[in-house]
Amino acid sequence: MAATTPKGSRKGTMGGLPDWGLLLGSVLVYLFLYAPIAVLIFFSFNSTRSTQVWTGFSLEWYGQLLSDPTILQALRTSLTVGVIATLIATVIGTMTALALSRHSFRGRAVADTAIYAATVMPEIVVGVSLLVFFVSVFVPMGIQLGITTIVIAHVAFTISFVTIVVRARLSGMDRSVEEAAQDLGASPVQTFFRVTLPLILPGVMAGALLAFTLSFDDFVITFFISGVGSSTLPLKIYSMIKFGVSPVINALSTVVLVATLFLIFGGSRLLVRKENAQE
Amino acid sequence: MEDRQTRERPPGTRDAERGVAVRLAGITKRFGEFVAVDDLNLDIYEGEFFSLLGPSGCGKTTTLRMIAGFEEPTEGEISVAGEEVQGVPPYRRPVNTVFQSYAIFPHLNVFDNVAFGLRRAKVPRDEVASRVTDACEMVQLAGFEKRKPGMLSGGQQQRVALARALVNRPKVLLLDEPLGALDLKLRKEMQLELKSLQEEVGITFVYVTHDQEEALTMSDRIAVMNEGKVQQLAGPTTLYETPANRFVAGFIGQTNVFSGTVEAADGDRVTLRTREGSRVEAVVRGETVPKESEETHVAVRPEKVRFGESGDNVCAAEVKQIVYLGASTQYIVRLEGGGKLVLYQQNAFDATGPSEGDGVSVAWDAQNCLVLED
Repeated sequence: MAATTPKGSRKGTMGGLPDWGLLLGSVLVYLFLYAPIAVLIFFSFNSTRSTQVWTGFSLEWYGQLLSDPTILQALRTSLTVGVIATLIATVIGTMTALALSRHSFRGRAVADTAIYAATVMPEIVVGVSLLVFFVSVFVPMGIQLGITTIVIAHVAFTISFVTIVVRARLSGMDRSVEEAAQDLGASPVQTFFRVTLPLILPGVMAGALLAFTLSFDDFVITFFISGVGSSTLPLKIYSMIKFGVSPVINALSTVVLVATLFLIFGGSRLLVRKENAQE
Repeated sequence: MEDRQTRERPPGTRDAERGVAVRLAGITKRFGEFVAVDDLNLDIYEGEFFSLLGPSGCGKTTTLRMIAGFEEPTEGEISVAGEEVQGVPPYRRPVNTVFQSYAIFPHLNVFDNVAFGLRRAKVPRDEVASRVTDACEMVQLAGFEKRKPGMLSGGQQQRVALARALVNRPKVLLLDEPLGALDLKLRKEMQLELKSLQEEVGITFVYVTHDQEEALTMSDRIAVMNEGKVQQLAGPTTLYETPANRFVAGFIGQTNVFSGTVEAADGDRVTLRTREGSRVEAVVRGETVPKESEETHVAVRPEKVRFGESGDNVCAAEVKQIVYLGASTQYIVRLEGGGKLVLYQQNAFDATGPSEGDGVSVAWDAQNCLVLED
């Protein structure tokens, strides 16, 4: 308890709670947040099938993970979808951000609001509507539900995230730098690739990482439009859990978690480092 | 003063032989209802240090941006080096700009910043290297080529911006308040440096500033602008000694203005009865001689008023305020008939001026008075 109170100061209270109450509350909140995840990771290294009793350290479940072809197939699908969707969403999202911050046109306010609204749209609504759309438009055209529809859906819901991240970067950029490039003989295309893009690149990269992470983790929307035969990693985990909790699921979840954390931290570090370099 | 006089080139003498670097013919720029530049006609000569001077919002920066190609005039024509530039994008105009914010490329080092224009023009590698090195030397940045802009001071960034523009050897260099962000001492140094640099390279400089002292220090000619119009176009001495109207007189240096009606006009000598009721004698130097009972204004510079009892205009006054300015002291006095007057006295160790509240007599000569139009 003493650790929270600086030496010599009065026993502080906050919101009527004594110091130890505040500390206890904080500890409980963090426990609630992270304990289940910690338990999941912990038991992924258990030597028996039990997810309740620790019997010894083993990498058996990770080995099984790597030898299960259906899991590897799901991972491959997730990565393929993630990479393609990220590339498309990053290009379109960046162009949208440029259009929204550089040009004034009729309906810009509406377009702007629509971008933000898309990020808070309930996933279940997006999933159902995309399913109806694909079935009524794509299927008659001969495009079956599968990896193509997953990519299209993922592009659709990640664009607005990319746009928001890139716009934040653009708003902090001095426009006269672009004018200077033109003044020095750079055509609009050269200005974009030699000046604008390098300056907003940290934002674009962060947007791309965010898009990839969202795509890699998405369950609800993908669940509706994946069709038969093509399942991403989250869908695979869900289908495995229907046959009972297995330490393989723990191991797989741990891998997904680590990959996601790596991407998110990598993205934020990239933004911070680039921003410092510009000061 | 002597060399100022020789630097000014009255139109019609030597200008006839000089080429026109920039010609603005009937330029008007409107932003919606707002008229930023109103029927501007200007010839800027080759090798000239030309300033556009005026308060913010007078249209000087808009004029510069139209020459650079960032704005298109609503009406009128602009030619650079004898060629019409209507519709020519900024990247195809033979001009370069030094921006107010410097606009250095933050992701490129000094060398790449300066080389940017040459590379776009597809100048061979060897030549790029030697020209960039020369340009960096010219602005005293030799040895800084590998530095990133973030590691440079404001003054150094300014020099990079200058080198980056000059290295392309433009026909005309446009400068948009380039010294605005520097501290006073550095600004003074850079003013003199810019002026000698301009003489060295012989490129036409078009310089936008709101700082009248800066314009007077550097320019061959100055166009004083207000509300989108040129109020007066002249050399520094002419602007200061014979301002064309009240705006110019008030904007260039400080001045005392008396407004009233002409009581007597005798040749070039005019007697004005001010609204406060006192009389001021002035000598007309302009072309228009005001007639009797006309409304007009007479101006006198603070440094041309002295304490004393002899002169064309003598007036009893009371000292209201004394401001020590270093090289001189500024006195604000209330004239007996009403109205305030500002005067400067040089500071010297044996000079003891009056104190606040003292009754004094102030005097100035009709020669030093200007009759001004509205």
